Amino acid sequence: MSGPAKKIERKTKRVLGLFGDFDQAFEVIADIRHYKVPGVTVDDVTLKSPIEHPEIEDVLGERPCHIPKYSFVGAAIGFCFGFIFLASAQANFLAQPQGGKPVITIPSNIVLAYEMLILFGVIATLAGFIWSAKLMRKREGLYDAAVTVDQIGIVIEVTDDTFQPMKDLFKKHKVLEVHEESLT
Amino acid sequence: MSNTKHLTDEQAKDIDENIAWAKINKDVLRSMENPRMGYWVALAFSVCLFGLFIYAEIYQYIYGMGPALLNTSHMWDLYISTFVFWIGMSHSGTLLSAILHLCHADWRKPIYRFAEAMTTFSLMTAGLFPVIHLGRVWNFYWVMPYMSDRGIWPNFRSPLIWDAFAITSYLTSSVLFLYIGMIPDLAICRDNTTGWRKTLYTFLSLGWRGDDAQWRNFRFTYLMIACFLIPLAVSVHSIVAMDFAMAIMPGWHVTTFPPYFVAGALYSGCAAIMTLFVLLRYFLKFEEYMTMPIMDKVCKLTFVIAMVWTYLNLIEFASVWYGHDIPSKEVLMAKATGPYSIFFWGMMVFGSVLPFSLLSQTVRHNMFAIFFVSIFLNVGMFLERWMIVTPTLSLGYHPQAFNVMWPGWVEWAMVGGSFGWFGMLFLIFVKVFPCVSMYEVKEMVYHRKRTTFADVDEMMELHTGVPGPAPKTQETGGS
Amino acid sequence: MPSLLGNVFKGWADYSKANEDGGHHDYEHMYAMSIDLDKCTGCNACSTACYAENNLAWVGEEKFGARQAMNWMRVERYFDEPDVGEGSPDSLERGASFLPMMCQHCNGAPCEPVCPVAATYHTVDGLNAQIYNRCIGSRYCANNCPIRVRNFNFYDNAPTAWPAPMDQGLNPDISVRSKGVMEKCTFCVQRIRGASDKAKREGRELKDGDIVTACQQTCPTSAIQFGDLLDETSEISKAWKRQQVELGKYEQNKENPEMRGYRVYEELNIDTKVLYLERVREV
Repeated sequence: MSGPAKKIERKTKRVLGLFGDFDQAFEVIADIRHYKVPGVTVDDVTLKSPIEHPEIEDVLGERPCHIPKYSFVGAAIGFCFGFIFLASAQANFLAQPQGGKPVITIPSNIVLAYEMLILFGVIATLAGFIWSAKLMRKREGLYDAAVTVDQIGIVIEVTDDTFQPMKDLFKKHKVLEVHEESLT
Repeated sequence: MSNTKHLTDEQAKDIDENIAWAKINKDVLRSMENPRMGYWVALAFSVCLFGLFIYAEIYQYIYGMGPALLNTSHMWDLYISTFVFWIGMSHSGTLLSAILHLCHADWRKPIYRFAEAMTTFSLMTAGLFPVIHLGRVWNFYWVMPYMSDRGIWPNFRSPLIWDAFAITSYLTSSVLFLYIGMIPDLAICRDNTTGWRKTLYTFLSLGWRGDDAQWRNFRFTYLMIACFLIPLAVSVHSIVAMDFAMAIMPGWHVTTFPPYFVAGALYSGCAAIMTLFVLLRYFLKFEEYMTMPIMDKVCKLTFVIAMVWTYLNLIEFASVWYGHDIPSKEVLMAKATGPYSIFFWGMMVFGSVLPFSLLSQTVRHNMFAIFFVSIFLNVGMFLERWMIVTPTLSLGYHPQAFNVMWPGWVEWAMVGGSFGWFGMLFLIFVKVFPCVSMYEVKEMVYHRKRTTFADVDEMMELHTGVPGPAPKTQETGGS
Repeated sequence: MPSLLGNVFKGWADYSKANEDGGHHDYEHMYAMSIDLDKCTGCNACSTACYAENNLAWVGEEKFGARQAMNWMRVERYFDEPDVGEGSPDSLERGASFLPMMCQHCNGAPCEPVCPVAATYHTVDGLNAQIYNRCIGSRYCANNCPIRVRNFNFYDNAPTAWPAPMDQGLNPDISVRSKGVMEKCTFCVQRIRGASDKAKREGRELKDGDIVTACQQTCPTSAIQFGDLLDETSEISKAWKRQQVELGKYEQNKENPEMRGYRVYEELNIDTKVLYLERVREV
């Protein structure tokens, strides 16, 4: 490898800014996106809010969501498992055939496999949600209950150098409160 | 525009978009506080009704199915009709949460939480009946497909097994859907309560923090489960319909039964939403959230579904009337003119004629009138379920089996008791969980504030010369 | 577990065949019945014999009137009403037609596929079997029977029907059913098994006349015939051939319209196995 080694900045602080005005909060993110604070990229930003904001995806950047994949895989497994399980059970229960109907009845198996598709799809989606949204894990710091009422929070991990410029940026956009904590 | 001329501009809106978000939190959390005496009376009454159910079931357990006055011709009666009735009621939540969500109808937001809860509890109530109607209740678990050491499996060809699978899937999915939709609200509750409630909500909210990643995943999860739930709801009630459609009995072996039942389910679900809407609005003082315009829309939706149900009903009669299937025609004639005819015509009046009262604005804007109309709509739907089961069994194919039968005290006790069970579950839900979705109402307020129709107003001013309303300022939901 | 899946592929062709194509079964016997309605006097001896043979409980007048009785075999009466008017004594004098009705053991039985726990099925003998132990009492099978020949145990009738020492008179070859269980005519399956076992002990094949059902035994006019349709030499298969009634069809092609044989509810495609010989009527 030629050239001088890049100095990797270790993040030392986490700062949370609470905003009452949603548009101002989005302006902060737009500013960060346009590199108004050197050393901080928009990928470091986490937005905490009381409601969902699909409209800021273009400002916050493309962040992937894998939930539909979980749903699809769950549904496919459900259907195949359902049909195979039912057909196997019927095929092994030959002692009691019935009423002019075949042993492995396709119409009823399809109905039941369809139900299994939905059931497994829903459960897989839930599992995907809990995993992707990082629920049920130990809570990282810097949470303010005001986020569930009517304020938006922007959380960024910063280094010592970028700490003050970030606070200035917040103040420029009418931040209500700033919390900080050190990352050890 | 003209249909809201009785209301002021403020009153004609689905929700006041200047409502403070902190107030939304406060109002809903207040509804979960320690209840007044009336609540305890209602809860006690529900528990007593359920006790009646337990008593009747013990009596039936000891003496057999005979006291229910069933006989060789009428092997099914009120238990199955009530089962279908409760499954039908459960489609309300799915309609409101899932279907209207996909239609981007945001007026559903203040009311879908209790509708979804109603779905879950209706399913739990419906699930009682296939168990208690069995002759040997203690063996009910044989319908589950487990690896028995005798190599015996349930009979997957039977629509009753499809019922078992479908209701299990629907109940699981509905509970999960209700729960997932509640997670952000449970986080709000967690931050604002103490004691046993705080422990409960902390556990249930799964550490929700409101991060954008969480919201993004949440949005997709909700959408995916809504997409799963809609075909599931349709298939569940179609499967319940196939309990009848797959039989060969005249009056049952009808291909339109699956859509007919689903339409009836949406109908009785909407009527139940109207009833609970009026009750919750009054008792929990939710006038600002469960507003008159929203009720207006629910009434119109109910009317449309009522017309769909009426159409499917009349189509079934028409196809029997013009067909050559003599036993089916005789069953139809017996329904209209035979011993059960008064209930048949009651069903037609309550189910097809009464919804026309919802066309009148006076009725739609009067909560008292709506309460009674919705109760009678549900009475009509209960009669419909009974009219499906009993006249066919009283006639059938074989003349030797013709028989008229009326249900006895055991069946009525079980039916009434099921309402007690449902009431009990719902009352407990109202006080433990937020029955108005706080974050969704905030979203509704937020989006309505942000929308400006400046270009439309300009055009209108151009055409009519009347200046439009002042443009809304870009304020946010500040405190 | 692997064998669970293996069977699916092994017999797929077999498993998808419906009954009309021979189904999954290779039938060893096909027990059927024939009842001559012209000989039937409506005496109800068959019904009584069935009560005695199969441990059927009497339920009393009130419950019988409420249609909660356990009569596997019933004699149905149909009155021909002339244009005389109901009040006239002539109308009753015309007399009744009698139809002894019991489970028809349909090859395409509508009751079999709808039982949620597979408590009713079709045996290799062609009988529609009811497994009392497996029945959970959902009663869907009874609802689907067009002839309503299935009886449900609405009560525990045993203590009232056979107070001691009457319970010593019960048939030991057959169980006494408890409440919550469905039952119906079995073509006296205990007699069928008894006769097969006897034939096996004696080292011979079953022959026609070995198996006599209780109703057949008791009928004073010998209106009821019972036997194996797969046995070409049996009386019953000759009777069916003579009447030009075939299994597996829902509309018979009769060359001679004066043949009196018919089956009930053929148009529903349930393929019953009781041949009724129509009463000879004056033209």
